[in-house]
Amino acid sequence: MGLSEKEECVLLDQKLLVFMDQLELLEEKRERLNSLIEQGWFSMSKARYSMGNKQVSALQYGSEMEPLVRVHTRTLESGEAEFQTKRRTLKSPEERQVEDIGPKDKEGVRRRVKTQEVPEIDQSDNKHPWTETEPAPSSKPEPNPQQDPLKWFGILVPQTLKQAQASFKQVVELSAEVATLQSAVLTTRQQLWTRQTRRTDEPG
Amino acid sequence: MAGRGKLIAVIGDEDTCTGFLLGGIGELNKNRSPNFLVVEKETSIAEIEETFKSFLIRNDIGIILINQFIAEMIRHAIDQHMESIPAVLEIPSKEHPYDASKDSILRRAKGMFSAEDFR
Repeated sequence: MGLSEKEECVLLDQKLLVFMDQLELLEEKRERLNSLIEQGWFSMSKARYSMGNKQVSALQYGSEMEPLVRVHTRTLESGEAEFQTKRRTLKSPEERQVEDIGPKDKEGVRRRVKTQEVPEIDQSDNKHPWTETEPAPSSKPEPNPQQDPLKWFGILVPQTLKQAQASFKQVVELSAEVATLQSAVLTTRQQLWTRQTRRTDEPG
Repeated sequence: MAGRGKLIAVIGDEDTCTGFLLGGIGELNKNRSPNFLVVEKETSIAEIEETFKSFLIRNDIGIILINQFIAEMIRHAIDQHMESIPAVLEIPSKEHPYDASKDSILRRAKGMFSAEDFR
């Protein structure tokens, strides 16, 4: 048994109110998103001013990158999509490969050269500093794709660049909320349109 | 929402891309196409559109962020996208503030209203 005209109108009104609320919330979130983006640019400009124009640019991007934040999506029965970000914590210092800065142990100024007598070598110890005369192969630290992107711009970066990063991290979180709201708005709009069309088509 | 999660892609000018890459969204390796495009003065509209469409086809991208002035260049392609995933978010750029009247999503949401809808 279908709904009466009055019930249909009430439902339509409720849906319309929900739609208006969603639009209002979307507008608020959008304003916040845009404001945070502008804040991020401002901080980046200040960092560029102190570091140099070319020091904060695409030239500094890492050669390999792995995303530190991903978005999980879910589609509801109504067709509406939900988005939620999940940020990966960077590896702890123990798990991360330590970058060697400076000369290696075996690249010292003095090298001990093997003399005539051969010392007894402990089989358990393969490293014998007195017998190795050739320098250790210099190894270039490989780029770590999982590193904090801040490190692309140098070891010591100004506070303003960190502030820019913090702003854009918030923007990423907010983007997922805005995407969810956008989907909700469109779904509600579609439901309104369907109900309205059905109401108009029904005789009487 | 189980699984590895999807990527967030960005099509924007250098400042926009730098900001979001600082935020940790970037993926770049020899095995896969990057999930970002830095649009410069020399970047053609065809390249922008091709990149946008390639992001739509990929099933590992959940959100596409695009500067609104760039979105205007490929408005027809954005308007054709009706699926909820990936979501397309238009964002301002330094020289072009956000204009809600140009946003595809908001135009779709509001533009279909007529006086009949409120009777």
